[in-house]
Amino acid sequence: MKISYQWLKELVALRTTPQELAEKLTMAGLAVDSVEEHGGDFILDFDLTSNRPDALSHFGIAREAAIVCGGRLISPLVELSESSETAESAAGIQIAEPTLCPRYAARLIKGVKVGSSPKWLVDRLEAIGQRSINNIADISNYVMFEMGQPTHAFDLHTLKGRRIIVRRAQPGEILRTLDGVDRTLSPEMLVIADAERAVAVAGVMGGEETEISSATTDVLLESAYFDPDSVRHTSRELGLTTEASYRFERGADFDAAVRAADRASRLIAEIAGGVVLQGVLDEYPAPITRTPVPLREARIERLTGLKVEIERAAEILTALEFRVELLKERYELLALPPSFRIDVSREEDLVEEVARHIGYEKIALTVPEWSGTGAYLAGETIRRGLRRELLSSGFDEAISFSFAAGERDRLFRSSETDTPTITNPIDANETAMRGSLITRLLESIQGNFNKGTKDVKLFEIGRVFGRVAADGRPQERERLALIMTGMAEPGSWREKQQIDFFDLKGAVQSVMQSSNVSGFTIERASVEYLHPGQSAALIKDGRQVAMFGRLHPRIAALYKFRQAVFVAELELGELLETAGHQIRYRGLPRFPASSRDVSALVQDDVSWRDIEETISDLGFGEIESVNVFDVYAGRGIPEGSRSLAFRITYRSQDATLTDEQVNLMQEKVKEALEGRLKIQLR
Amino acid sequence: MEQSLNEIREQFHRDLDAITTAESLVAIRDKYLGRKSGLIAASKKNIGKLGADERAEFGRQVNELSREVETEIERLDVEISARNEEAALLRERVDVTLPGTGASGGHLHPITLVRQRIEDIFVSMGYSVEDGPEIETPFYNFDALNIPPSHPARDSADTFYVSDTLALRTQTSNVQIHTMERQKPPLRVIAPGRVFRRDTPDPTHNPMFFQVEGLNVDRHITMADLKGTLTKFVEMMFGVNLRTRFRPSYFPFTEPSAEVDFSCYVCDGAGCRVCKGTGWIELGGSGMVHPNVLETVGIDPEEFSGFAFGLGIDRMAALMYGIDDIRLLYENDVRFLEQFA
Repeated sequence: MKISYQWLKELVALRTTPQELAEKLTMAGLAVDSVEEHGGDFILDFDLTSNRPDALSHFGIAREAAIVCGGRLISPLVELSESSETAESAAGIQIAEPTLCPRYAARLIKGVKVGSSPKWLVDRLEAIGQRSINNIADISNYVMFEMGQPTHAFDLHTLKGRRIIVRRAQPGEILRTLDGVDRTLSPEMLVIADAERAVAVAGVMGGEETEISSATTDVLLESAYFDPDSVRHTSRELGLTTEASYRFERGADFDAAVRAADRASRLIAEIAGGVVLQGVLDEYPAPITRTPVPLREARIERLTGLKVEIERAAEILTALEFRVELLKERYELLALPPSFRIDVSREEDLVEEVARHIGYEKIALTVPEWSGTGAYLAGETIRRGLRRELLSSGFDEAISFSFAAGERDRLFRSSETDTPTITNPIDANETAMRGSLITRLLESIQGNFNKGTKDVKLFEIGRVFGRVAADGRPQERERLALIMTGMAEPGSWREKQQIDFFDLKGAVQSVMQSSNVSGFTIERASVEYLHPGQSAALIKDGRQVAMFGRLHPRIAALYKFRQAVFVAELELGELLETAGHQIRYRGLPRFPASSRDVSALVQDDVSWRDIEETISDLGFGEIESVNVFDVYAGRGIPEGSRSLAFRITYRSQDATLTDEQVNLMQEKVKEALEGRLKIQLR
Repeated sequence: MEQSLNEIREQFHRDLDAITTAESLVAIRDKYLGRKSGLIAASKKNIGKLGADERAEFGRQVNELSREVETEIERLDVEISARNEEAALLRERVDVTLPGTGASGGHLHPITLVRQRIEDIFVSMGYSVEDGPEIETPFYNFDALNIPPSHPARDSADTFYVSDTLALRTQTSNVQIHTMERQKPPLRVIAPGRVFRRDTPDPTHNPMFFQVEGLNVDRHITMADLKGTLTKFVEMMFGVNLRTRFRPSYFPFTEPSAEVDFSCYVCDGAGCRVCKGTGWIELGGSGMVHPNVLETVGIDPEEFSGFAFGLGIDRMAALMYGIDDIRLLYENDVRFLEQFA
């Protein structure tokens, strides 16, 4: 909101510079964004909080300025001379909806000459960014920017029956507003009507047919108080915000209606000629009352740490136009808020009024005493550990929006098909709360490819959503996703290997290791969005807690990927619950180990796991480890087979094994492999 | 025919000049010093032909020659080894200016970097990190926070809804309410997390961002504690000797309320590009927990008081790293991500 410093000076005797004033008002809670020079004047741009509609005018700012700068307040002149003809005889007002319009006042001015405004008025409005329209409309605006109360001028002759009826709009009722738009109204909206039709959207905008024109001679000047919620609702529904609606929806001054009508009428008579009819039409069926709010001296200190005597608090509140009853012996007071301060209703509100005028800068800096200890979120140590682990494997951390395109997201949801849907999305395509982290990460991969980055490793930790559970809330589960594509060691001048399944599996295993999760197995799995030959699941306690593998070529084609992309998604929340199991130390071996290498031709339907299990089924406690060190298929190896080389390490805890002992076990191993798995040893 | 000792000496020196390898040195040693077939040993066979007085002189000369040969071979052996070693090292020379290999490390997201630092600071001040649902009921997101039913923040223009009774949380203040329902004061918690507002992405807005909410409720908590705590935080986060400024403001869930600024850590308040010439940087909103909020969760506002604050993690990250377009935060462009560590 723009305030002219010169204009302000007519309402309060100021001796401060505009910059000082801006600083003082900012520190009193009326924030000034900027002070700019404007043709010998200064324009202060305020960014006011929504609880202070009373400050949305020059007089409103003057009230606060008078306190923070110590100047005298000068009220705008409202006295006027009236004709002998009464307003009552010329028009009538009826409020059909007193809850939506508690008060409606009007003044009638006859014999005006509509024309352009005098220069001072044009300049005033122009200084605060308002365009001059005609003298009557300009005066209405001027009074709003001066006193904060919106008024509206109707051409009295266009009002059918010379009557104002404040009522709800009829279903489908159409009104062409001042901006030339035909508005279809609904019964939730309050309108100003004449005997036949709506002539204005109450508190928002007037109608074109009843507006002031060059032919207008008689004016009905409206000055009302509308229910804030009603105006806000109507303004939102119509997508129409005006200076008037902005003030009414925050809460106007319910006592200002008549004063503002008088002020505007006086200026109209002065500038546009004409006579003001006798009396104000003022419908106010149930006057609004306020109750006094108590304030205890001790409460000020309890909340702010400031020691303020109750007399000083009384002074501040009195200056702010509260009606104060000081109960000195009880160190208390009762303050009746002025009609324009709709934001004050509890003791704490008064504490703030006192504190902001004493100055927040007077409040000391203390750090509260505390005997407890701080704590991170459960699992945070492990979460941070696995972040470090992934970082050292070259993964960058991604963070994506939690919503995504539903038809894509569904591709990556495991068992559930439903996630919550945003009913009012920004992008009509992105309405699904994600059921998988993969959806957005694939978009990120796509984005990186488009920017020419072909080697990408990303991970994300975040929540996915599921269907609404018994407690009425959608499930939220914490997951970790990995995605990798391109060169295993990008930028290396030596290693030229593309990322494959085993790089992904290694990353998954390192995550498990860094979280110290044990007791899981990795099995071949069938996952719809993964390549059927390169997909696996991590099973723990009989549950699939992670799925990983190469993106199915059919899905990759949807994204137009021309290189293999590998993805993994882990139920991080579940894993964190079992992570960090107690580590038990094992004694170091005291006797040397011997090892034997095996070179074998293995059919493709025999897995490495089969070989491991066949060996372990023999039950030799002396077998310490079985490690594969070469896998080869291709030239020299029959179709459907591959060559595996592995090393078996033998060790006893009790003695050094003899060659004969080792050979004997090695023979049994070979027999089992040849016999059970039909492996050809070489 | 036997050679004279001088002839042997001359021949030895010629042989020596011709050799380059340690192996040929061994052959030379055998040729001259071999116990049986060596030239020096062979020359000794002639000793019988000499007279008794000449024998002693001949023996002395033979020994001298033997020592000479021995010494020379030794010297050359050392020389050749040194040369060989040098050559071997030279062969193993690499271009040390080529880039190092191995997977280069990844990078934490700037949001995580800032969030972890905030958590570390508050945990060190005795706060517990808490978490709550991202999809929330209007009760926890609005009602309990003293946001009236007609408040514009509830509008579908500002808040994402997934049903009439569930919205994407617009602030992590919902965690305040869950925590206060669960635990009784004294309470010290912070709640970092994702929040959602219906803003179309532009350089300074995103429909999703991260916020950290702080709450401290105890018997004698005042605004002075709020000021002291946030000033301490600013010092730990941005640098010592920074000043804070508390401006009266308005939030439905606090009363009194304050907007918090801190003196610009780049120009120390003189005015620069980072603080847009004002000397101050906005930190966030704060205030004393509204008595209606305390009453809603069954805490007596006469007995307990508390402060709360809300800080934008994205804004802080943008400030700290000079990010001028925050849409980059959620695009996961590797060229952006790899700038952070």
